[in-house]
Amino acid sequence: MSFVDIIGDLLGFGQLSAGEELIAAFIGAAIIGTLMLTNTALAGPWAKRKITAAFTDRIAVNRVGPAGLLIIVADAVRLLSKELIVPEEVDRPAWDFAPIVMAGSAILGFAVIPMGSGIQLADPETGLAFVFAVGSIASLGLVMAGYASNNKFSFLGGLRAVAQNLAYEIPLVLTGASVVLFTGTLQMSSIVQSQQAALLSLGPITIPAWYAFVNPFAFVLFMAANLAEVGRNPFDIPEAPTEIVAGYQTEYSSVYFVLLYLGEFVHIFLGGAIVTTLFLGGPAGPVLPGFVWFMIKIWAIFLFTQWARSAVPRVRIDQLIEIGWKGMLVLSFANLVLTAVIVGVTGI
Amino acid sequence: MSLEEPTPDSDAELDVVGETEDGLDYDALADLLGDKVRTREEHLNAEGFVIRPDDVQDVLFALRDEAGFDHLSSVTAQEYDDRYESIYHLKKFDDPTQQLSVVVPTSKDNPVSESAEPVYRTADWHEREAYDLVGIEYEGHPDMRRILLPETWQGHPLALDYDQTEPQIVTLAEHRNPLQEDHRAGDDSDTMFINIGPHHPATHGVLHVETVLDGEQIADIEPDIGYLHRCEEQMCQQGTYRHQIMPYPDRWDYVSAGMLNEWSYARAAETLADIEVPEYAQVIRTMAAELSRMAAHFLAMGTFALDVYGDFTAIFQYTFRDREIVQNILEDLSGQRLMFNYFRLGGVAWDLPEPREEFFEKTRDFLNDMPGKLDELHDLVTSNEIFQLRCVDTGVLPPEEAKSYGATGPVARGSGIDYDLRRDDPYGYYDELDWDVVTEDGCDNFARVLVRLREVEQSARIVEQCVDLLEDWPEDDREIQANVPRTLKPDHDTEVYEAVEAAKGELGIYIRSDGTDKPARFKIRSPCFSNLQTLPVMSEGEYIPDMIASLGSLDIVLGEVDR
Repeated sequence: MSFVDIIGDLLGFGQLSAGEELIAAFIGAAIIGTLMLTNTALAGPWAKRKITAAFTDRIAVNRVGPAGLLIIVADAVRLLSKELIVPEEVDRPAWDFAPIVMAGSAILGFAVIPMGSGIQLADPETGLAFVFAVGSIASLGLVMAGYASNNKFSFLGGLRAVAQNLAYEIPLVLTGASVVLFTGTLQMSSIVQSQQAALLSLGPITIPAWYAFVNPFAFVLFMAANLAEVGRNPFDIPEAPTEIVAGYQTEYSSVYFVLLYLGEFVHIFLGGAIVTTLFLGGPAGPVLPGFVWFMIKIWAIFLFTQWARSAVPRVRIDQLIEIGWKGMLVLSFANLVLTAVIVGVTGI
Repeated sequence: MSLEEPTPDSDAELDVVGETEDGLDYDALADLLGDKVRTREEHLNAEGFVIRPDDVQDVLFALRDEAGFDHLSSVTAQEYDDRYESIYHLKKFDDPTQQLSVVVPTSKDNPVSESAEPVYRTADWHEREAYDLVGIEYEGHPDMRRILLPETWQGHPLALDYDQTEPQIVTLAEHRNPLQEDHRAGDDSDTMFINIGPHHPATHGVLHVETVLDGEQIADIEPDIGYLHRCEEQMCQQGTYRHQIMPYPDRWDYVSAGMLNEWSYARAAETLADIEVPEYAQVIRTMAAELSRMAAHFLAMGTFALDVYGDFTAIFQYTFRDREIVQNILEDLSGQRLMFNYFRLGGVAWDLPEPREEFFEKTRDFLNDMPGKLDELHDLVTSNEIFQLRCVDTGVLPPEEAKSYGATGPVARGSGIDYDLRRDDPYGYYDELDWDVVTEDGCDNFARVLVRLREVEQSARIVEQCVDLLEDWPEDDREIQANVPRTLKPDHDTEVYEAVEAAKGELGIYIRSDGTDKPARFKIRSPCFSNLQTLPVMSEGEYIPDMIASLGSLDIVLGEVDR
């Protein structure tokens, strides 16, 4: 029974007609959207501060509410009540669309992610291709923001974003494709399904056949490319606060800034969700319900990006291009070919 | 990068005119210059050769090439009732105790003098400052514009007839791309002019860098300074020697290097008024100054990491955590955390805080934790491969360029120039203590960072020895201040130029007295001012991120650049 059917059931629709299915699907989308936005609200104003503070020997927010949690409310009010400053000669409506494109595309990706406990809005056969495709739309938003802002720093940031995404999108997708070689399908639920088997049994401990264990090389490669994809250290080049002020974000304020920021965080979570689905067995895990495991996994990857941000310097744009085209691309092709050979010979 | 082969010194030394075993032989120097030297005058630190305004380049070339004066430390300009005067303070990187002042008087009605810029590149900014503040024009200078004040300013503030009550109008004009018409790589290539600063996250204050980009690479760059000019020289000229000047040095390099700055004024004024500082006070001064240096280097390290890492990361917080401890110790000592005002002419304001044991214990605890903390920083920063990728061989400053631009301090030492006034022109208690001058041959951003980290180690060594000395100092011999008259009036027309090794390099003070209790001319030679001049050398052709890193590795403080 799919997620939409469950919702239809709860609404008492019985056998769904086309109209009823639409209503159920909208409600499902709203639930998943709200879920991810809640996650982001938790991550942006609160968790990020707490995590960074832990890495840097500080305390961070602790005045408003228990453990400073109400800072989320305070920040929401603060950010929404800021004045929206629209600089002269910005290229509208591209300038207005950019934040929406960036936030929207990232949320869209969650439509096909199996979150466990039956939560998956849609499960098309091309699920993986879809999620990569919508993930890349964010680059369009970056270019729009950079180009439309009529600011030289934004412009540089936009150009950097394009260069960076070209250099990293290909290794990312190729490494993803090496997983597809194992599963033989792009459907997300099948990818999760094929990781359920046991890889090894060491006494009472059973190591599942997650692709992170089956092909750790691909996992590492994917995590590195993912850091570049979501623009976190050492690859936060499009923003690069000390070099080009704030890159493509420079001219945005108020709600638009919130949208950009939110888009970035949802994107990090989407990256985490893809990693979880492809390499970490999706929502699989002992004792706790699948959904909880899914959340734990994407938060672990969020933690990893924050760790990188606190401890690793940023590389230069030319160095990044070099790593991307000369290193990662070659490695990801090698990984793909090798996986193909192994799968072909052993017939897993 | 390897340094240039050292020239065989034994032969070369014989050729250097005027250098003898007992120091400088001024007569030999005068013979070298022949009748170009019109008269000779005595300054307290060196002799001054008075020359004609159109002989400047000949004289300086001769002194540089044949007498070995490779360091133009400072250029002082001033106006007398009957003339203008530029003084070139020359030194040698090998031995800064060998000094010579070249005095160039120009007439009142036509204050034009030959520029020294072709001889020493550092004269570029120094002469622009002289033109800006005093009004002497330099012939043959490539770029005779104002430097600290806006271009529309009327009059020269340190000139005698300047009317301070005259309102000034400052227009706001758009900056122009100096390479607008330059399509060096073909017609379809284009450059982009971009203002980095004065409001930018990585300019360490209000520095404005006019940058022309070719893609992401820097085609042309010019630091535009003066946003933080606070007339420090003028203010010092209005204060009395005894007490009213000492608070100002804290406000030049205001990021915790205050003790070092205060020493520069103390040293100049003590030479001027011939004051002998008690040994006990010298030890306290040395300890306080080195603590200051550690705090300043921690801050430099942290902000450099901030520039390269791009965020307030762990490194920044770790360095600030350690700097905080130094600040607490200095607070115990002086009562202040930043603007210490602890030095006095002839000594220090007060003795160590009671109970002394507690103070010593606190300082020792800090020093004992030091090696571990430095290891931590080396683990996190200098041994990080991405950090090395970013910093090694970027922002290269060859030693010859560094000398010509008058770079000093960690910037010069990072280019392999073995120059440290604490050892080479000793003052305080340094020559009694056991420590080393740190140099690195890398000439790049990485070398400058390493020099600072290793200098912290050396400072810790010095502080430790000072603490040992102070702990065992006999109680009846703790004299913190010499006898200094309530009102100091040095003799009429005495001139002195003295420098100390501040956190950023050679911080020099020139004072001319006119027989009153206030200086007639007070000139500050700021190390950051000279060091910042090297930025174009380091960054042209590099990427923006490397330029930002180079700027960070120069460790400038705009309060000291603009004064």
